[in-house]
Amino acid sequence: MSAVLTPARLDEALRLLAENPAALAMAGATDLLVRRRGAIPGHEPVLLSLAHVAELQGITEEAAFLAIGAATPFSRIIADPLVHRYAPLLAQAAQTIGGPAIRNMATLGGNICTASPAGDSLPPLYLLDARIELASPAGGRALPIAAFILGPGRTALEQGELVTRILLPKAPRFPRERFIKTGRRKALAISVTSFAGRARLDQDGRIAEIRMAWGSVGPTVVRLPALETELVGAPVHAATVERVGLAVHQGVAPISDLRASAGYRRLVAANLATQFVEALGG
Amino acid sequence: MKVRFELNEAPMEIDVAPDRRVVDLLREDLRLTGTKEGCGTGECGACTILVNGQTRLSCLMVAAQLDGARVTTVEGLAATTAGATIQRAFVEEGAVQCGFCIPGMEMAALALLRQGDAPGRECIREGLSGNLCRCTGYTKIVDAVERAGRDLHAGREEQ
Amino acid sequence: MSPREPLQVGRPEIRYDAAAKAAGTEPYAADLYPENLLWAGVVRAGVASGRLRSVAAEAALTVPGVVRVLTAADVPGPNRHGIIHRDTPVLVDGRVRHAGDAVALVIAETHAALRQAIGRVRAEIEPLPAVFDPEAALGEDAPLVHEERPGNILLAAEIRKGAADQALAGCEVVVEGEFSTSMQAHIFLETENGVARLEGDGTVSMTVSSQSPFRDRFEVGAALDIPYDRIRIVAPSLGGGFGGKDGATVQCLLALAALHAGGRPVKMHWQREESMAAGYKRHPCRTRYRLGADRDGTLRALYCSLLYDTGAYAHLGGEVMELGMEHAGGPYRIPHVLIEGRCVYTNNPVAGAMRAFGVCQVAFAMESMMDLLAHQLAMDPLELRLRNALVDGDVNCAGLPLTTSTGMVGCLEMLRDHPLWRERQAWKDGAPPHARRGVGLAAVFNASGYGGKVRDAAIAKVELNPDGRIAIHNAVTDMGQGNACGFVQMAGSILGQDADQLELRQPDTATAYPSGSASAGRTTYTFGNALIRACEELRQRLINRAGLLLFLDDDCELRLVPGKVIHPPTDREVPLSRLAAFMPREDRVCISQFVAPVCRQVPDTATGFFIGFPHVIFAYGAHLARIEVDLRTGLIRIDDYVAVTDGGAVLNPCLFDQQIQGGVAQGIGYALMEEVERREGCIQSESLATYLIPTAVDVPDILSCRLSGNEATGPFGLKGVGEVAMNGPLPAVANAVADACGIRLRRAPFTPERVLLALEEQA
Repeated sequence: MSAVLTPARLDEALRLLAENPAALAMAGATDLLVRRRGAIPGHEPVLLSLAHVAELQGITEEAAFLAIGAATPFSRIIADPLVHRYAPLLAQAAQTIGGPAIRNMATLGGNICTASPAGDSLPPLYLLDARIELASPAGGRALPIAAFILGPGRTALEQGELVTRILLPKAPRFPRERFIKTGRRKALAISVTSFAGRARLDQDGRIAEIRMAWGSVGPTVVRLPALETELVGAPVHAATVERVGLAVHQGVAPISDLRASAGYRRLVAANLATQFVEALGG
Repeated sequence: MKVRFELNEAPMEIDVAPDRRVVDLLREDLRLTGTKEGCGTGECGACTILVNGQTRLSCLMVAAQLDGARVTTVEGLAATTAGATIQRAFVEEGAVQCGFCIPGMEMAALALLRQGDAPGRECIREGLSGNLCRCTGYTKIVDAVERAGRDLHAGREEQ
Repeated sequence: MSPREPLQVGRPEIRYDAAAKAAGTEPYAADLYPENLLWAGVVRAGVASGRLRSVAAEAALTVPGVVRVLTAADVPGPNRHGIIHRDTPVLVDGRVRHAGDAVALVIAETHAALRQAIGRVRAEIEPLPAVFDPEAALGEDAPLVHEERPGNILLAAEIRKGAADQALAGCEVVVEGEFSTSMQAHIFLETENGVARLEGDGTVSMTVSSQSPFRDRFEVGAALDIPYDRIRIVAPSLGGGFGGKDGATVQCLLALAALHAGGRPVKMHWQREESMAAGYKRHPCRTRYRLGADRDGTLRALYCSLLYDTGAYAHLGGEVMELGMEHAGGPYRIPHVLIEGRCVYTNNPVAGAMRAFGVCQVAFAMESMMDLLAHQLAMDPLELRLRNALVDGDVNCAGLPLTTSTGMVGCLEMLRDHPLWRERQAWKDGAPPHARRGVGLAAVFNASGYGGKVRDAAIAKVELNPDGRIAIHNAVTDMGQGNACGFVQMAGSILGQDADQLELRQPDTATAYPSGSASAGRTTYTFGNALIRACEELRQRLINRAGLLLFLDDDCELRLVPGKVIHPPTDREVPLSRLAAFMPREDRVCISQFVAPVCRQVPDTATGFFIGFPHVIFAYGAHLARIEVDLRTGLIRIDDYVAVTDGGAVLNPCLFDQQIQGGVAQGIGYALMEEVERREGCIQSESLATYLIPTAVDVPDILSCRLSGNEATGPFGLKGVGEVAMNGPLPAVANAVADACGIRLRRAPFTPERVLLALEEQA
């Protein structure tokens, strides 16, 4: 049996965390309690529930950014008008996570801190230039998400720190945005390959700006900045699409695991990207 | 730890280990065995309950999380119009075979039908996508939820 | 208040158990938490092959709340169980043969103490060479899984009719193919579990989620040296079975625990991961086929070789293969047939009984071959099947002349007339860019009953209770297939009663009578036939006793209606409760029996068969799948599915459709996504996150069409339809993919990866 601490405010949560350095922060617990099944009973660490910490809840609009509380469940994110206004790509991705009940429980902060290479919220967050706000007794800091997620299951979170909010800069939406997740079945499936894309065309129908991110094809979300730069000014035609396919096929670094082989993931990563680019012409 | 919550519209207080799984609390401590466990990892939905009106998986919740909450289990369905309508539809539409998934399905259906007007079949399938069934192939379960949606809608219109 | 109406066969009467299940009040074995209970749990080997050197329990015994740690030394009796071959140790006493082998049994006060203690038991297992590939297992140098089984062969058998090799050589067209199917898991939502107690009088009583409570007593008794009549087993409604609860799962372990629990009840409930590791599975199978025909499509000859991987222990492996061999030629007339089968041991998880056992593996192969042949002949695949489909009086591929109802043609004709078949081209032409659409067929069949040399019989008991309600003492487990409802409906229609006046008691070996297992699609057929006789007898008896009570000189105007016996000419009546008060107990009980028909002239085509050959009653089906393949990901989406079934007469259309829809869904999982992944014999896909079954968004509305028919030997003319539908989806989807993309998938399941890689190869 282990204690469950339930602070109501952030300073209390940080204090409890400092006093119980081995405590596990818990919000929706959908990953944590699954991992706990393998733990030896009697030696489970203290749980620190963040579900009632006021500062971690809810979605607010600030001057320059949209702030999503780390303990906000995905169902809330999906339903929120602010998210639909400023970050519909994130809502698209959230819609594919788990099933309806899981979406009521799992939180954005949890998905980020679990830092699975297959985390569905992650590719959109990279494309949205998300910043992760952290708090500790010593103060606060914020990191770009690409600097926060270090590898499979590893983040820059330091001892005694909590993720408080996810900040999404308010920027004009891209006219074309798409998140696609593929798995071995249609629902409740851990992603085999996922793709997020944002693009805008100039008045001649050429690519003015394009951003792409892939999940489950590398230890963390994969970006191909050189390709993105190269594509500026490119017309949306067969040669461009083929170029994208080749570059993606070579640029991603998937592994083979229980769910899929590396070869398959490469193929699909390329196909999802070419599908997106092709559709820009439509 | 003393956990106080509302269970099926009645006050409940129980002294329990704060990290006891809610599915165990319900089944073993409270003898409410209608909520089932099929996987323990949140994949099958058999343990679905409502917490503050939302579906949650009780195999991935600990007792401390219930404090101050409003909880509904399958045992509380018959007392509500929506719950009773859903149960009758499941029975009459042939949606019940082995029955082990049914309490969870009914909870998911309840949450879905409370969201608005009578949903179509695609929407119903999405709403039930977190609940596995191995016996029925889902067709008659969708029939049941579709019918319950119509029955509830008609009932509301009458009022 | 509306007048009471008796139940009637043929009507979609509401399932007897539906209300309790919808309310969450139906008690499954998993829902039992007796007072003062102890928890039992198993320490498993974790390696696929080895010799158990020692089990160190000291560390486990220091965990507070741990009561005992049992090993093989604590097992009284032979310590071997099995349905036919008693080859499985209750607790390993020497060889470890698969990773799920039970090495020790822990008993503890709480679940937490149990899990902690299990983690601390130290089993020393000296690794031994292992074999995981069934072809390798046949090799000369392969390590032997069982010393007394040379070549690792459980069973090698043959069906030979005519001269296939010669006939093939002379055929105008010959097609060939090799196919393989996966290890599938049952994934019932209620995992293996039970509660057991040693009673004061020395009886071991248990309530178990079991498909075979009567036979379990023999399995437990033989393993632990307990007389079978000192074992009482109750099987409540199961949360699914599908064959995985046929044969001892927890039963021997529970009995062993009960013997060491000081009279306290002991509960065991396998978590999902343990069910995956230790529960039974479907046999993976590899097949090689050569099929020869005339130019006009008339089938002439078939050669096939089948290899079934039975894993570490026999279970029903031989019988699975035999049934597959009996069905290997499909529901067709083929004059020359040579079917070779081998069922081999490996150090893989144990393969046992699973819905449509043996048959769904060969249905994939044969129905794929039929489409290959149709393609070769440029012939319509449905016409090809119709041309060769079995009819009454034909001799089937196993050499059996068909004397029971054979509705294959009717099913195919119904499918041929269905809009989904007729309008297939227009639908296919509407495929969006980057997708291809296809339509695929399968003609399937599945025997019901145990087959030759195995007693397929039932004994039904019905009882008029003092309160006037009539109890049916069911003896065959209801695992969701709804036989309880079927029986209530039969009884109601014969006895003129409605559901309120009837009560169904789930199997209890103390009060019901041996009637075989809930398997082989036999329960409604076999027990139903016994029940009809018992109900007829009770009906006559109730009429007679009422006549006596009313002092009539002639009983022929007496009738049973819900709740009473009435005499319309004199407008008098006797409520059943009053009648019951008038009758002593022995007079209120009727017991009757039925033995299923056997084949009187066993074909001489089969060599090496042990038991279970031949079968005489078959259900038939014709299936159609409309699919769309996403060319970018390889994901197959099934948009529409139709299953036409010949099940004889239909007792309850709703129950019938339930079985078909459920079988199709399981078949869709088998076709698209289900595969128990193993490495070195250890299961990798241990949770429902990694072993995927279809969700509500993965299957379309499944349309079940019922061919009207009649099986003269069946209760009210029915046949069992529990299994046949399972056989359709895998070949129907394979044929649809070939139709859509021109690729022939031979290795199931058709994961998006396999599909995409096949498409890449084609390009």
